[in-house]
Amino acid sequence: MSVDTGYIQNADELTGPFAAALAEGKLIVQKCNDCSALIMYPKYRCPQCFSGSLGWQQVSGEGQLQTFTILRMGPPSTFHVEAPYGIGIVKLDEGPQLMCRLHPGADGTWDHYVCDQRVRFAPADAAEIAERAAAWFTAA
Amino acid sequence: MTDIWTPPYPEPGSANDAAFIGIGEIPSGVYRERGFMAQIVEASARAIADAQLQHTDIDQIVLIPCLHGIPDQADLIFSRVAEELGLHGRVKSSVMVHSGGSTSDNATRMAAGLVASGQARNVLVVYSEKWGSADLQAMIDMLSVNGIPREWEAPTGLQFNAIGGLITQRYMHQSGSTAEEMASVCVALREWANLNPNAMYYSKKLTVEKILASKMVSDPIHAFECPFLADGAAAFVMTSATEAAKKQDAWVRIGGSGGCVSHYSAGQDEDLGVLGWVKAAQEAYESAGWGADDADLGEIYDSYAAVTTIALEGLGISPKGEAAREFHKGRFSPGGQFPLNTNGGLLSAGHTGVGGGTALLVEGIRQLLHRAGERQVPNARRCIVGGTGGSYMDAQIMMLERATR
Repeated sequence: MSVDTGYIQNADELTGPFAAALAEGKLIVQKCNDCSALIMYPKYRCPQCFSGSLGWQQVSGEGQLQTFTILRMGPPSTFHVEAPYGIGIVKLDEGPQLMCRLHPGADGTWDHYVCDQRVRFAPADAAEIAERAAAWFTAA
Repeated sequence: MTDIWTPPYPEPGSANDAAFIGIGEIPSGVYRERGFMAQIVEASARAIADAQLQHTDIDQIVLIPCLHGIPDQADLIFSRVAEELGLHGRVKSSVMVHSGGSTSDNATRMAAGLVASGQARNVLVVYSEKWGSADLQAMIDMLSVNGIPREWEAPTGLQFNAIGGLITQRYMHQSGSTAEEMASVCVALREWANLNPNAMYYSKKLTVEKILASKMVSDPIHAFECPFLADGAAAFVMTSATEAAKKQDAWVRIGGSGGCVSHYSAGQDEDLGVLGWVKAAQEAYESAGWGADDADLGEIYDSYAAVTTIALEGLGISPKGEAAREFHKGRFSPGGQFPLNTNGGLLSAGHTGVGGGTALLVEGIRQLLHRAGERQVPNARRCIVGGTGGSYMDAQIMMLERATR
């Protein structure tokens, strides 16, 4: 077999660093080494300049909640979390956007969330990240 | 605004001008005794008869996929339909086209292109789905990995009703629409379904009160605002306008079309309250030479109320932010100013998977052929058909026109 390297070969090379950062309580996004574009979700080539030279950058975790929902019935059986749980789409101040989990408030509900409100990254513990590598956010 | 490339559309009535000449459909709902292939053959036979053709006149098959299971989908891929219809050794090819809920629009483009380029004379397009009889949890799990990036969004517990919730929440926030106004979308569609004997909920009434009293499934969507999975099948036949004119008094042509793939994953769309409709509509209207104000009716994908209200606003049929309120005022109901989803839509005729969009397309053709019976829109000449697939990844528009000899 000939040697064929120099590009991202599989999804593990993208999910691995992201999940490792989450387990350490950090939120990172992909960064293009050529045009500096910040990219979510991480890709095999830069969507802006098509470069294959891609790295990572830690972000502030501050952002705006585009929309959200509380799933109360019918979670996927492979998810192994009982309903209800909160899901949201956050646009980070740095630009990229991502699907995330939302922490409930002190009252155990998600009633306090509204679209376009400020939210901040509030990571789940490492055990949760090991099961489901999602970024968690809470009301700012 | 980006430049729109408007392709040269075929001259109306020419040999390159693709024409819908026949439709076939069987009732949607839960029909456990009705098999997948039996549904395909029956819907096909009805469409071929409606087109005043013999089955042996079909020289090309375009298949719309099922989502209920791989073995049946493999039957589509590997030409079983050709053999079941007695067309083996006769058809040039049998292919499947797939873009989820917008497949019917893309299958139409493909069938029309085959006719226009002289590759086919009579094209049969057919779908069959067995969602109503399938195991519900298995379908929930299947729909939780299709159109959702397994590496990046599945870890949040996302599934299809949650995507509907995310879109609806954004739409209600932007438009200020109330829960009652959103529920009235489903009620209007049910009133249409009550006029359609093929609809899953032909004989069941629905009210705003009943919707708002039903369980919350994925905020702000209630149980009675979710589409119900159904079995169903429908088919249509396309040929050229010159062929159509030999046998038919009337047929349906494609005046123009537009499309925009706005995203793959819901989390990456720039604005879930807008999606790809504005760009797609600009292309569709420029290519057709007519637009929202000229349409007699619409058949627009409606797996959730907000999916349709967002489309209506992007299409310019409703002013920005007003579609749900217009539903509440009755504009889109039977007897209203703008008949919409006159078969009851996915929400009330039944969600037959990829076929739900096909059922809407077939209904649009039926209306323009003036074969819609009790729910016929008087003198319908122009219909806007809209489809969208996956996590509402695209907006696909077909500008259909009634043509006569």
